[in-house]
Amino acid sequence: MSKPKVKVAFFDFASCEGCQIELTNLGDTVFLGLLEHIEIVEFREVMKETTSQRIDIAFIEGSFTREADRPRLESIRARANVVVAYGSCAATGGINALKNHQTDYREFVYGKDAEMPHLDSFQAQPISAAIQVDLAIPGCPIDQAEFARIVSDVLHGKAPTVPNYPVCVECKLRETVCRYQSGDHCLGLVARAGCGAPCPADGVPCEACRGMVDSPNQPALLQVLMEKGGLSQLRAETKSRLWTARFRNEE
Amino acid sequence: MGCNCATTERNIYMPRECLITKTRQLTRTEKQFTLQLKDGSHFTYQPGQILEVSVPGYGEIPIGVASSPTRTDSFDIVVRTVGRVSTAVNARNEGETLWIRGPLGNGFDLNKLRHQRVLIIAGGLGLCPTRSLIQYILDKRQEFRDFKLFFGSRSPAEQLFTDDLAAWRRSPAVDYQETVDRADANWAGNVGVITTLIDRNEIPRDTRVIICGPPIMYRFVMLRLDAIGIPHENIFVDLERRMKCGVGKCGHCQINNLYVCCDGPVFSYDQVENLEEAFS
Amino acid sequence: MKTYFLPQHELPSFVSTLLQTTRVIGPVAKKHKFVFARLASADELRLDYDVTILPPKKAIFPQTQPLLKFSPEGYEDVGTPQPQILFGVHFYDVKALDMLDEFFTDGHADRRYLDNREATTIVASSIQHINERAFFASVGADVKPRGHDAFLTAIEGGYVYEILTDKGEALIKHGSFRAATGDEVSSAYAANAEALDKCPQHIYHSTREIGRRVRAAFGRDEVWDELAEKCFSCGTCNTTCPTCYCFDVQDKWNLDQASGVRERTWDGCLLDDFARVSLGEGATDNFREKAAQRFRHRVMRKTSYLNEKLGGPACVGCGRCAIGCVPDIADPVRIINRIMEG
Repeated sequence: MSKPKVKVAFFDFASCEGCQIELTNLGDTVFLGLLEHIEIVEFREVMKETTSQRIDIAFIEGSFTREADRPRLESIRARANVVVAYGSCAATGGINALKNHQTDYREFVYGKDAEMPHLDSFQAQPISAAIQVDLAIPGCPIDQAEFARIVSDVLHGKAPTVPNYPVCVECKLRETVCRYQSGDHCLGLVARAGCGAPCPADGVPCEACRGMVDSPNQPALLQVLMEKGGLSQLRAETKSRLWTARFRNEE
Repeated sequence: MGCNCATTERNIYMPRECLITKTRQLTRTEKQFTLQLKDGSHFTYQPGQILEVSVPGYGEIPIGVASSPTRTDSFDIVVRTVGRVSTAVNARNEGETLWIRGPLGNGFDLNKLRHQRVLIIAGGLGLCPTRSLIQYILDKRQEFRDFKLFFGSRSPAEQLFTDDLAAWRRSPAVDYQETVDRADANWAGNVGVITTLIDRNEIPRDTRVIICGPPIMYRFVMLRLDAIGIPHENIFVDLERRMKCGVGKCGHCQINNLYVCCDGPVFSYDQVENLEEAFS
Repeated sequence: MKTYFLPQHELPSFVSTLLQTTRVIGPVAKKHKFVFARLASADELRLDYDVTILPPKKAIFPQTQPLLKFSPEGYEDVGTPQPQILFGVHFYDVKALDMLDEFFTDGHADRRYLDNREATTIVASSIQHINERAFFASVGADVKPRGHDAFLTAIEGGYVYEILTDKGEALIKHGSFRAATGDEVSSAYAANAEALDKCPQHIYHSTREIGRRVRAAFGRDEVWDELAEKCFSCGTCNTTCPTCYCFDVQDKWNLDQASGVRERTWDGCLLDDFARVSLGEGATDNFREKAAQRFRHRVMRKTSYLNEKLGGPACVGCGRCAIGCVPDIADPVRIINRIMEG
């Protein structure tokens, strides 16, 4: 390649760093293939080096939960041409946003250490609550194939897209037996696709880790979870909060 | 309905290579390309037909041809930057390559327009596909009777083909009238929606009318034309839909049983007026 | 053409022999359901299936299919397909493939479809178990299947193999076939007639009457709103439909970031963005914004829009949409009956 390589950095905020781990699972072919075109200048899970230089693409994992994180986010934004919030924590607030509906989580999780100052945080918010984000890729963790496609699009200056159809589409395309036809329930009906629907294929209901489609039919979801999925009303109502708490908050 | 698409390749999805001989930024978002087929062959088409224009890796978009087949050395398209493909197309420049498939669909039925009075009503980007017919009529002016052209834009800055407009303003061959929704400091012409131009003219009932513009325009223009009493088979509309394949397969442009890409994009109004979803 | 008989115990060796030289796609079990899949061995074949999750059209019009290859220099054709045998297709799916043949030939012949179609030998088979949602006996009953090369009917002691084309005939040399007796042919006829008689769901109106009345109901928004109230716009009714053929087209770069493929993927008119266009600066317009409009479009397309071209409805009564729809609102039998009741 005669063209200079695109400088890419990975940053993490409130998250499990599972999305970075998932990237290390990309495999030699894809990862080394991408490395022909990109130069990774910061990636905490795999290297010690960090950078304060200009970056072409900044991938940010994790949600924005502390005011203390704002300057670091702003510094990344100022140095990066493209900012991608990747993984559900960064894209939507993700599973962290569950706490937005609770008050006792500090005591519950940390017990006698609950009042330690480094545990101060506010509601879990997507990265876009702090800085301008060019693209948000949800997923818990992100999908490897989607990541590779999005890097490819960004390299070519083609605005990447994230599907706005439900996971049902991807289950059907790969002929997964529907959870509802196995006496189970599933959120795939309203969940944003793009993951390739691996969970139902493994016999696990979709938990909508990528959030919901733009126009989810939520009244029908509640009805289906109770009538076809056999959930109680309380469980049907709280069920879809796991990764979509912030969506509910907004409505 | 028949179809005048030209797909010469064995694979109907195979594009042909074109050299960009000239480009011109018409407005902030619209760019004009003048193209020639690279294999040296002459590109034959009817005014109003469409192309699938593409850049490898980015995809294809349907675009109406914006020049007349009477101008044989090259042909024009105008692309507005709206999405991923149009952004990639508009990043191309003179001397570079674009790919096309087509011409696709049915353009203006010239047999129904020849020896008739013709009125073209174009709004905004609707001037691009109708420019193919405007040029055609001007080049074969003796084959047509009175020729009026009404053009409406949102603002003077959004007017397309300003050189053409200047020429048409002066030309005795066309009665060109224009309006803008919002004037600016330098605008001395008409201000108001395009129907105001219809109101201030005497339009004979036997006029053949071509309408091309944003969906909202059709409804208001049709109200005026109905008041005049112009038969619907003499009114022609150029419809726009989401299109992918351009050859009547992929389903995106379907309105009832019609495929806009193959059966249109030009329809006589009586063909489509009772089709739900055509103008809603 | 001739009709042959294959004893029950000879079927595995017939299929095994086919497998040795050709890609064979047939019904296999997937948990408690069935799918068409490439057979690795003859014992996977489940001719006793009721219906598969996806129709066998995927063997000819795959979920994702390259249309072209590209490089910075331009485009080139993709290769031509290898021969394959589509084994054990129920008659309703043959009818659906007949429709796809029509759609992809009409106007501009789509070689990407037709090359695959021509490389395929279709062995249809009798229906041994009928899904409770099937209504194949009462939809387009006067439209007969034509696109298969042979028809295999299970009878007592074996299979009657009716040959319709040279491609169908070419297979018999791979098995221990003998000429069928008159009684065996009669038994096969009776078995296929019985499948029609036992078909559980019925539409009691003519195609013409349904087409006319459904079309007339276009403007009855209250009916469509009611029918689509629980619709998730998930497109399962499209994706599982043997006569749906809409697709999206996308370009994808290879890892070298220079070459790539332009490929089509099944799309569905129930999906929110199916008729959405970009207007620029993030604005969009959707020609069928509401779920009820999209729901109506599908019903119109299956019952009315394409009838003239097809000589019948664009539905074969397989019941897949009814089976797959979680809120159970997609069943054409119920939709049509609801509209016909006024």
